[in-house]
Amino acid sequence: MMYTLYIERDSLLNRLDPRVKTIGSLFGIIALILFNSPILLSLLFLLIVLTLVILGKITIGEIFNVLKPLIPISIVAMIIWPFILKPWYFGLFIGFGYGIRLLSVALLTLGLIMTTPQRDLILGFIKMGMPYEIGLTLTIALRYIPTLYMLAQTIMDAQKSRGLELERGNFIQRAKNTVPILIPLIVASIKTAHELSIALESRAFGASKRRTFLHNIKMEVKDYIALGITFALFFLAVYARYFLGVGYIKLF
Amino acid sequence: MIEVRDLWHIYEGKKEALRGVSLTFGNEIIALVGPNGSGKTTLAKHLNGLLKPTKGEVIVDGMDTRKHSVAELARVVGYVFQNPEHMFFEENVFREVAFGPKNLGLSEEEIEERVKWALREVNLEGYEDRSPYSLSGGEKQRLAIACILAMRPKYLILDEPTTGLDEKNAESIKKIIRKLYREGHGILLITHEMDLVLELAERAVLLYQGKKVFDGDVKEFFELDLRKYDLDRPRLLTISEEIGLGFFRSVKEFVKALEMRT
Ligand SMILES: Nc1ncnc2c1ncn2[C@@H]1O[C@H](COP(=O)(O)OP(=O)(O)O)[C@@H](O)[C@H]1O
Ligand SMILES: [Mg+2]
Repeated sequence: MMYTLYIERDSLLNRLDPRVKTIGSLFGIIALILFNSPILLSLLFLLIVLTLVILGKITIGEIFNVLKPLIPISIVAMIIWPFILKPWYFGLFIGFGYGIRLLSVALLTLGLIMTTPQRDLILGFIKMGMPYEIGLTLTIALRYIPTLYMLAQTIMDAQKSRGLELERGNFIQRAKNTVPILIPLIVASIKTAHELSIALESRAFGASKRRTFLHNIKMEVKDYIALGITFALFFLAVYARYFLGVGYIKLF
Repeated sequence: MIEVRDLWHIYEGKKEALRGVSLTFGNEIIALVGPNGSGKTTLAKHLNGLLKPTKGEVIVDGMDTRKHSVAELARVVGYVFQNPEHMFFEENVFREVAFGPKNLGLSEEEIEERVKWALREVNLEGYEDRSPYSLSGGEKQRLAIACILAMRPKYLILDEPTTGLDEKNAESIKKIIRKLYREGHGILLITHEMDLVLELAERAVLLYQGKKVFDGDVKEFFELDLRKYDLDRPRLLTISEEIGLGFFRSVKEFVKALEMRT
């Protein structure tokens, strides 16, 4: 069971400040939306893959693994277009671009998660203006996913030992079968949340508006350089699209 | 009779939790002991089919657990999980206990009769309309036992049944276990409380790193160097040995012997 996509690896992308990576991913997503030329989108996809492989030391196999679940959706996105655009091979061509665009956006986001520890990612969000409370909530929620997963397994085992058969019956019966799992799970979650809130309050959480951080992140020279390159590339994309008219095919 | 033959279990992620365990038991109270992570829960989950052997086999009254569902095996092997709250979901005690028998597809009258009987066995008559979550810790544990008992299994697995309970409540659980044993149940007691082993069990099975390292009489079990297995020796035994009185099952017996001597 994998609970986190983060891959601990000594690479340039891993060491980059999470804020730079977040801004980079955001710009990347906007750039992907600017263009619709399948050729250009393929090139951008290739660029993302190469960045992750060379700068992030992520293998092609790992990239394929995280993208695998999304392949069916991107194929659907692709085969819709021949029905909308005539002639059909032109539609297919455009559809191919849309499929690639979907995978690219996903890969940008996943790449960010794969190269940044959760803690740093959320800290980055907070430093960029996200309220601390939301950051903490997010951290706690992510922290408890494996715990809840294990708990759900235990509860399922306990109810199966009482003769509950989860896979039996029609759709409605199956939905009913989840009640003996969900109720103990919800009760246990509420208890845990309640205990957690007491623990937080007893340590004076929220007493001071200005917090310091035990674990901090700091922009270094390489981060500023990377940020500069990110901006440059982004403006290049905007310039190419709006002033040179590159990479956009008028569809209707 | 439950027969475990050369049982291996390897979890996903390649963790070898059981490495060739063999065990046979019938109508007796067995204590399954061992430090954390030694494989007790993994072994117990094989007995009612929650886990299937990676290698080896488990035969419950002639049924190969690989060929029967958990629901079928539940009629023969009852498994009381450690935390009672992990099973409660009904609005009242009656319905909670009735859930198991209902799953067995019994008639209304049969279900009602079994619920009454099970609640009597654990001294919870009169609690039918209470909410399971409103009960005290000891009552919850007893209700959990009743929920399983109502399915009338021949064998009972109890996972840490007294952990977290005070003396009085633990005592009443012990009484219930003794009674169930006298009525003909085979009982497998998973525990790390050595006092419980001493008081209740006739036979102890010690697991260590997925292997069975001891299987025999409780008296012999306490002659082992238990610290080697991260287990404590009951204080009662240490004291009675110190003053040269020998082996006792309970404080009561010990006190009696002490009075006889003086
Ligand atoms: N679902 C699981 N997946 C992977 N490993 C597990 C799982 N459950 C238990 N283990 C591992 O198997 C070993 C035995 O666990 P367990 O049977 O729970 O021991 P015990 O009940 O004696 O504490 C431990 O090392 C534990 O980490
Ligand atoms: Mg255990």
